[in-house]
Amino acid sequence: MKSRTPLAAAGLAAVSLFALTACSGSAEPAADGAPSGNVTMVVPMGAGGGSDQSGRAIASGLEEGTGLNISVENREGGSGAVGYSYFLSQNGKSNYLLASETALLALPVTQDVEFTYEDFTPIMKLGDDYTLLVVAPDAPYETCSDVVDAAKDERVVAAVSGATSLDEIVFTLVESDQDVEFDRVPFESGSEVLTALLGGQIDVASLNPSEVIAQLEAGDLKALCAFSEERYEYDALSEIPTAKEQGIDVAFAQYRGFIAPGGITEDQTQYWIEAGQAYEKSDAYSEYIESNYLQANAVYGDEFSEYLAGNTADLEVVFAE
Amino acid sequence: MIDNLILGFSTAFTAENLLWCFIGVLLGTVIGLMPGLGSTTGVAILIPLTLTLEPVTALIMLAGIYYGAQYGGTITSVLISTPGEAASVVTTLDGYQMAKNGKAGSALAISAIGSFVAAIISLALLMALAPPLADLALNFGPVENLAIMILGLIIVVSFAGGALSRGLMMAAAGLLISTVGVATGFSDARFTFGNINLLGGIPFIEVMIGLFAIGEVLHQIRMGADAPIRTRFRDMVISRSELKRSAGPILRGSGIGFVLGILPGAGSTLASFMAYGIEKRVSPRKAMFGKGAIEGVAAPESANNAAANANFVPTLALGIPGGGTTAVLLGAFTIYGLQPGPRLFETQPTLIWGLLVSFFIGNVMLLVLNLPLAPVFAQMLRIPYGYLYPIILLTSFVGAYSVSNNMFSVLLVLVFGIIGWIMKELDLPMAPLVLGLVLGPLFEKALVQTSALGQGSFLILLQSPISVVVLLFAVALMVGPKIAARVAVRRSPRTARTPITHDEREDAR
Repeated sequence: MKSRTPLAAAGLAAVSLFALTACSGSAEPAADGAPSGNVTMVVPMGAGGGSDQSGRAIASGLEEGTGLNISVENREGGSGAVGYSYFLSQNGKSNYLLASETALLALPVTQDVEFTYEDFTPIMKLGDDYTLLVVAPDAPYETCSDVVDAAKDERVVAAVSGATSLDEIVFTLVESDQDVEFDRVPFESGSEVLTALLGGQIDVASLNPSEVIAQLEAGDLKALCAFSEERYEYDALSEIPTAKEQGIDVAFAQYRGFIAPGGITEDQTQYWIEAGQAYEKSDAYSEYIESNYLQANAVYGDEFSEYLAGNTADLEVVFAE
Repeated sequence: MIDNLILGFSTAFTAENLLWCFIGVLLGTVIGLMPGLGSTTGVAILIPLTLTLEPVTALIMLAGIYYGAQYGGTITSVLISTPGEAASVVTTLDGYQMAKNGKAGSALAISAIGSFVAAIISLALLMALAPPLADLALNFGPVENLAIMILGLIIVVSFAGGALSRGLMMAAAGLLISTVGVATGFSDARFTFGNINLLGGIPFIEVMIGLFAIGEVLHQIRMGADAPIRTRFRDMVISRSELKRSAGPILRGSGIGFVLGILPGAGSTLASFMAYGIEKRVSPRKAMFGKGAIEGVAAPESANNAAANANFVPTLALGIPGGGTTAVLLGAFTIYGLQPGPRLFETQPTLIWGLLVSFFIGNVMLLVLNLPLAPVFAQMLRIPYGYLYPIILLTSFVGAYSVSNNMFSVLLVLVFGIIGWIMKELDLPMAPLVLGLVLGPLFEKALVQTSALGQGSFLILLQSPISVVVLLFAVALMVGPKIAARVAVRRSPRTARTPITHDEREDAR
């Protein structure tokens, strides 16, 4: 081991080998609409985040059901814009998939990008990740209506984890529904918001259940309401009323799902929808949903497209200001 | 405490866990060596492979990669002025100069020793005090962070050393580059010229690879390849007086690193810069800094390792990641069915204490691995440049591409390589630019947040006791040396004058 070089080369080889082992398995002869050769699951975010985790979970779930080789490729940059643009250039290739979430809708509304969800073929929405309104355990609020009432005549400082993030959307929807205003302090991730809430620098935050479950169980935070259509069924969350029960007509989720490129045939779309339906019945699917505290509202194809259209309309209202 | 330690040792000392710990630190060293492939990416890629292991074994290995990378990142900084990790950028300042003086072996040895001492100190503190320290760290909100960023930017001044204006200019350039992309709290894109690749800003890793690796190669080629450095093997081994001189810097570096590492967001890169800046202020041999001072390697290397370990304080005690890699590690917890959070110490004592004890074992392994290898690695400088350069270029470009699987990254590396070369030709310092680039987004974020919290007023900075103390420290750093010099001049004009004129002579260069 005289120089760095053989070591570095060996390391590089080892690391790429490890990356490749993810796609072992055998390619079955194609049925109607099945892709030929290996399949690539594009993740438009960096390794390790929520999108990456869902992309890898979906890829291994589909791999199990279809017998195809599905390898994951991270194409990060521009808050997802780079990955989606790359996916746009794969038009017509049914052996590409992309692990999608709400950035697909927020980017076209807020940035100058060349794609909308209509350029792609929506396949499956796995589930919805709503948010909970959380406050310090000794905060003078017991319900979300308390928070809204307080905001009417005093300063309530709300943290948001980004200008186009889920919590920003939820707070804006509450503001327009209740005609109040929250003071915003911007952060860059859910964990930063959590830190500031625990440190008492902000008053309220709207975070995904998976981000705050440990603090809720330890009694370090309390949840006032869930911005979801239905109450959560998980034991730890079932006591939390929805905002709608408290007279605030707001429910907005970040979805997790996957899409195929535009311009693929009807048969190819159908193939992936059926693969998704098989995945929904597997243990791997319920494990993913449960460990991330999602609500398992799977929808497919055209129904998924309608969902995306509805959400885009909401986002256009939010970002119109 | 004793019970917990015994539990930890009985967990970590199984043959399987020792083996995976070793694999982890070895892989970490290799990953740290390669430009572009940081520990965050390394850990994220390797998580799926560990799914068949016991959770504690898997986490021991993944954590090994994390702190192993801190050791590996140094080696290329010293030998070819190409930092493998952001936290090793400062090490290039004196480490590479030491290598040029034929002291690469000493530089690598002291960084291994410094890293080891820092690791042991910070681990002891982590074990004894993690939960209370984590609660304390929560007091550092946006306001306090802004004060720390101001302190960080003031320390840039001390980097400038010989040429204040050049240093400030480069720090400003770094800040400017950091404004590309979408800022915190806004959705408007700045300076992207419609290019979606720039929406997320100019990534730090590509800039670093370009400036340091490509810039240095271009510079050396134009200089007309020097003959490789020839030294005897005996000179590659660290001397006793070097060890003695490094003791203070290692302890100070460990302290600075630990404090900054606990705070969510500050991170090990800032820690290494601060440790270097402060060492340069207090060292009796400050004139040697930038010319191959061993203190300039010992301090930042200790600091970045202490910070890497201290990062586990909020991660384990609160379930809040202190940095990028610890965030990925927390993600791994959920994959193994563990719920990270404030109750982890109670609900998973075997896992937590086994993991903490494995940090000790892993660091001993790294010391044993790195100390004898230091002279061996240093032998690499004997390779003729004709063979070395193509290899550096290849690993740089492959590394850049592997960051995001995007040719745009390669283009960025090339552009910053040319910028780096021009900077070298004009003798412009690179470290302030890197610090500006690292601090820029953090500074801007804290500024926006503080302004929002204060409803537009920055007086809020003076209402927090912590931020007042930090700001006073910053002021002391600025005016302290001048006042001290005046007092010293008045007391004994002749003797006190000497070091100052010495400094001024250095400044004039």
